[in-house]
Amino acid sequence: MSKPIYFSFHWKFYFSVAFLLLVSLFGLQACQKAPADNKGLSAPVNDIPRLASGKPDFSGIWEATSAADYDLEPHSNRKDAPPGAGIIEGKYIPYLPEALEQRKKNFAARETLDPAVKGYTLGVPRGIYYPEPFQIFQREKDLIIVHQFGHSVRTIHTNNTDHPKDPYDWWLGDSRAKWDGDTLTVDVKHFNGKTWLDRSGNYHSDSLHVVEKWKLIDVNTLEYTATLEDPKVYSRPWTLSVLLHRHREKDFQLIEDYRFTLEYDEHYPPRPPVQ
Amino acid sequence: MNARQFIYGLVLSVSSLTAVNTTAHHAFSAEFDANQPIELKGVVTKLELVNPHSWLYFDVKKADGSAENWGFEFGAPFSLKQKGLTKASLPIGTEVTIKGYRAKNGLNFGYAVTAVLADGRTFTTGGAPDAPASQAKPQ
Repeated sequence: MSKPIYFSFHWKFYFSVAFLLLVSLFGLQACQKAPADNKGLSAPVNDIPRLASGKPDFSGIWEATSAADYDLEPHSNRKDAPPGAGIIEGKYIPYLPEALEQRKKNFAARETLDPAVKGYTLGVPRGIYYPEPFQIFQREKDLIIVHQFGHSVRTIHTNNTDHPKDPYDWWLGDSRAKWDGDTLTVDVKHFNGKTWLDRSGNYHSDSLHVVEKWKLIDVNTLEYTATLEDPKVYSRPWTLSVLLHRHREKDFQLIEDYRFTLEYDEHYPPRPPVQ
Repeated sequence: MNARQFIYGLVLSVSSLTAVNTTAHHAFSAEFDANQPIELKGVVTKLELVNPHSWLYFDVKKADGSAENWGFEFGAPFSLKQKGLTKASLPIGTEVTIKGYRAKNGLNFGYAVTAVLADGRTFTTGGAPDAPASQAKPQ
């Protein structure tokens, strides 16, 4: 009786050892394979759309899903906004003391003072994370951004030209860009001071200078960062960032969205005069 | 006047009228009062070359010595540029004389018809088709 038990014990022991050995071998193999597999999870670097020149192709219709436009800074929910963690590096905008007071006034009167409520052009960078789609058309010499809101059209020049010597005070600034590998770096200045950064009253002056970085992190996702400098309003430059998602719905397209014409709508088309 | 001069005159008048109409599209009479002409001399505090209308802001010295800031509407940036008026023409701190019309709301705003710079150069700055200055036939 004892012999079979003895044998059986040894058989189980050897089987267990062999099993563990196999498991650890497969485990080791899996570990060695891990880096290659991870590469497959986020798209390989070269798996993004490109122009014939090899530069990344940003063409498409994009939109942020972030709640940034309600308030760039971290905020709890309120009647006119869902909560949001904010999109600013360091959480808060480094306002100069007087500018912070102005921001508080803007916040208190945001319902009527927000330029977006009046249907004004959103400006840069607000148009990018405003919750409406925009479309990018791209050529070697430039990128054209068409915003659904207000049908604003912005040109980002990529033809190695510099800002004009006799600028206006543009609603969208003047954009000149350079490729740094697969990242498009855009220098934007010559703004007017009539746009805000969000609907909570965060603002800038006409001295605003924005440096944007645009990068495809996969086929359908753009990483967008903007560094804002404005010596009249901020104590130092600060950076925000959002992800932009490609619209892939069937037949998705921009729809005209002019707000400043709404109050005249009842008069159009004109009715024949009363006899 | 012979026929050729007449034709030249006609062509010039028509083209100048067209130019006026393409550079302005907002009614003068909605905001400004043709019965309140005004002339002010001051020191430039800001020139906004913004579409669709540019604005010049300047400080006017009052009798008691204090300064009062006024804003005057100019034409679109591109029409001003065509006339040779850029940011460099009206830098902050320079003297300017504005002739135009007051705003209907009674605040310190107006519509500029001409701007005379410190160096004596004169620019026609407005462009609204229904502004009194535009209606008067240029001689």
